[in-house]
Amino acid sequence: MTHDPLWITFIKALVVCVLLLGAFAYMTLIERKLLGRFQHRPGPNMVGPGGWLQPIADAIKTIFKEDLNVTAADKFVLVLAPAISIVFALSAFGAIPAGPAGSLFGFNPWVMDLDIGLLYILAATSLGVYGIFLGGWAANSKYALLGSLRSSAQIISYELGLGLSVLAVIIVAGTLNLREIVELNIWSVSPWLWPGLLLAFATFVISGTAEVNRTPFDLPEAEQELVAGYLTEYSSIKWALYQMAEYVNMLTASAFISTLFLGGYRGPRFLDALIPGVSEWPFIWLFVKMAIFMFMFIWLKATLPRLRYDQLMRFGWIYVFEFALAAALITGAVVAFVI
Amino acid sequence: MVAFVILAALMLAGGIGVVTLRQPVHAALALVGTLLALAVTYVTLQAHFLAAIQVIVYAGAIMVLFLFVIMLLNVSGERTGDKLKWLKPAAWASAGVTVAGLVVVYFLQRQPLPGAAVVDGALGGGGAERIGEVLFTDYLLAFQLVGVLLLTGVVAAVSLVQRAAPETRPQRGSAARSAPHEPTSASVTGVALDDELVHGGH
Repeated sequence: MTHDPLWITFIKALVVCVLLLGAFAYMTLIERKLLGRFQHRPGPNMVGPGGWLQPIADAIKTIFKEDLNVTAADKFVLVLAPAISIVFALSAFGAIPAGPAGSLFGFNPWVMDLDIGLLYILAATSLGVYGIFLGGWAANSKYALLGSLRSSAQIISYELGLGLSVLAVIIVAGTLNLREIVELNIWSVSPWLWPGLLLAFATFVISGTAEVNRTPFDLPEAEQELVAGYLTEYSSIKWALYQMAEYVNMLTASAFISTLFLGGYRGPRFLDALIPGVSEWPFIWLFVKMAIFMFMFIWLKATLPRLRYDQLMRFGWIYVFEFALAAALITGAVVAFVI
Repeated sequence: MVAFVILAALMLAGGIGVVTLRQPVHAALALVGTLLALAVTYVTLQAHFLAAIQVIVYAGAIMVLFLFVIMLLNVSGERTGDKLKWLKPAAWASAGVTVAGLVVVYFLQRQPLPGAAVVDGALGGGGAERIGEVLFTDYLLAFQLVGVLLLTGVVAAVSLVQRAAPETRPQRGSAARSAPHEPTSASVTGVALDDELVHGGH
């Protein structure tokens, strides 16, 4: 496998960022339209044909809104915090492979091919918590501080479940390289591994949902309790950066789940009988799998009520954590004694 | 070399920031910057695994908990009048000894220290596989002992924060009213526990 020249990597990184931000803009619209469908109402349908220009109107509105100046705030950290959020959200995606080596017109369809790609994504996403944390602190307001403490506690707690459920995959794959995990296809190793891996998959999806602060774990936005949590004092473009970070994190979570558990950029092999080589096509399969998980996130939002904070903590520490631990143990035992 | 100079300057700036900034949160942030620069230094040395672990453990976990405690206790500004009078001279003395030691080693012993080659050979560039292998064979005893040490820290933390069970069960009405307070104490306990765990690792 050849490495791409540096300028190609740079262009790819730029393209990934632009695509992620474009996806963010349209995910907000798709989310609102889908929520409308779930609630038997049309959703946004006025701006442009079928409402499809709504994100542009939203962008213009958000940018030209007054950026409120919080006099009691720590100015530097107040600006730094949303920047931290979006930077680490965008950089995490770079390690996700979107196709087999050399399938992008001879280039590799990924920004970085790291031997520790899995750890890299965990590291980058674990730094995103600083954005929420510092944002709430810098605003120098009680609601914002309480909201950010709560959200950070949530993210830290569910990070444990996330890390432990990844362990099952690492035990089976024996590598931290995401491309090798995809090429191996963990489900094909042995049917004895399926119970452990299914458990790990479930805990991973649950803690992933909690990590990106989506319903039923969207405590940061529990507006009836904390105004808007850490976002209380944010407006205009800084607020928009947090929104971007949230949606980019959702996209990364979808891609990460697909890559670890669902074969990532590989399509179903049986389709090769219909169209030869279709399972090797880059982008399309990862896109389909990500779309499924994005739909799942929105579906959850339309279906489930928000957890209470003590329920959230109990659920995370007692159920998710223990089941993720059990998944790792079961998988480890099967690998050690059965296979 | 250029990268190292830039990163070293960043690390030094961060380190100076940690001890000079008045606002505890700013000092903690400077430390986060230092740790991240150190992680990038590992990357330039091709030790990707170490870099990722550095970020996940130190920047992603320990420093978050530090900040958490700072915010939870709502420490703001500096407090004048150190309770420990000997702390300042002791800090200067230990820093002086460290610097003197580094200077002596740098000027007298221009070769790499004998231990460096051993560590380098054992870690083999810092890849995940090699480190795992070495950790679970040659250094298994030390690894297990560190695990026991962490466990001791956890048990100690739990016994420290545990309160005596209330004698009587609260009435139904008051239980329902006090329920929302429950999570606060639970989360504080969880944080304290984690913090101890982290301290045990040092």
